[in-house]
Amino acid sequence: MKAVIFNGAREDDSVISAIESSLIKLLGENGWAIEAIHLREKQIGGCLGCFGCWVKTPGVCVIDDYGREVAKKIVQSNLMIWLTPVTFGGYSSELKKALDRSIPILLPYFESYKGQIHHKMRYDKYPKLLVIGTEPRNNEYEETFLALTERNVLNLRPPKHATGVFQKNENLDKTLPFVEDLLRKVEVVP
Amino acid sequence: MNQPETVLLLNGSPKCEKSNSRQIGKFLVDRLEEKGLKSKEAFIVRLVKNSQGSEKLLRLVNTAGIIVFTTPLYVDSLPSFTIKAMEVIRDRRVAEPQVESPLLVAVINCGFPEKEHMEIALKIIKNFSEEANLRWGGAIIVGMGMALNGEPLSEKKGMTRNLTKGLSLAAVALAEGQPIPSEAEKLASKSFLPLFLEKTMLRAFGKRTWNNQAKANRAKPDMYARPYESLNETQY
Repeated sequence: MKAVIFNGAREDDSVISAIESSLIKLLGENGWAIEAIHLREKQIGGCLGCFGCWVKTPGVCVIDDYGREVAKKIVQSNLMIWLTPVTFGGYSSELKKALDRSIPILLPYFESYKGQIHHKMRYDKYPKLLVIGTEPRNNEYEETFLALTERNVLNLRPPKHATGVFQKNENLDKTLPFVEDLLRKVEVVP
Repeated sequence: MNQPETVLLLNGSPKCEKSNSRQIGKFLVDRLEEKGLKSKEAFIVRLVKNSQGSEKLLRLVNTAGIIVFTTPLYVDSLPSFTIKAMEVIRDRRVAEPQVESPLLVAVINCGFPEKEHMEIALKIIKNFSEEANLRWGGAIIVGMGMALNGEPLSEKKGMTRNLTKGLSLAAVALAEGQPIPSEAEKLASKSFLPLFLEKTMLRAFGKRTWNNQAKANRAKPDMYARPYESLNETQY
């Protein structure tokens, strides 16, 4: 079983690093192969909104850089994890540049899903999704962050998903039980 | 409240001049110009590539009376370039507090008919406005953006009548340094057509539109391709 971690830290971030270490430890103990990708170190151009990945090279982004790997790794994993500082209630620009380049994994065609129009799915199966944000502002943005991930779930339709926000002023020792609880929610650890 | 003298059209769409974001924002800025404001236009994707561009972005933001911040919806939020610009603006305005707080007007558009798709993006921009010490000037959210086809709103006639009326009303308040009244926000954000009709049209004509584009690129036979699937078949 493969897990891919998309680490969206904008700079060295001890809290996000501690969460990533906890994820690697717990998943490793449970037999998962893990790849942690530090997005700020990767050359990923921003999505140009050209829809070439739908109408020119279906399923593959027309920009030939690490952004193509992002889509591939999502499809070929069983669990994807998004790590990000909560940024205005959403994701950092570093995480977002990867997510924007993942749209080739959907089809351009529309369908009604849960009462709203969404894009159809290109693949039969998608990985489970775990989203973790770090928040310095005492839960001020947690509601928006959770709502954003629920919107993403409507579009990516993972078989299981969970979202958590870790307060930056918490002791780093608490990252392990925090992460363990989330991994249980997506049923990847007992 | 002082009357603003300048307006910045800050475009978060990577499609720049060809974007629907620009056409909606420009209609509002044109109305403000008619009321005597001087305008500037900037494209975020061209500015956040390097530190020189970021400095220019900061100068433009810090010297504007009104910022019309126009952006498409990308993956339930804003394009990565746009978030990058927001991080840069917030970081600098917190580090170096400014005397002036420009009025920030958000204009968000997406291809889906339902406005719910844009609610989170709107909250994110509001949070940015507060963190960057900008004054909230209101928001216009436009669904079925593809129907605009990157053309000026004035050329779209009846379909955009509520949008253009609402934007014109918004300009009256903004020119006085006031946020957009909620009636103008609601009017401008109304669907072009009844929602059930927009949804039906998008499903029916959307498929034809995508297929025609694919045909033109000789990609039609591959539309359902699954290029990354083969390695994953045994993992479930």
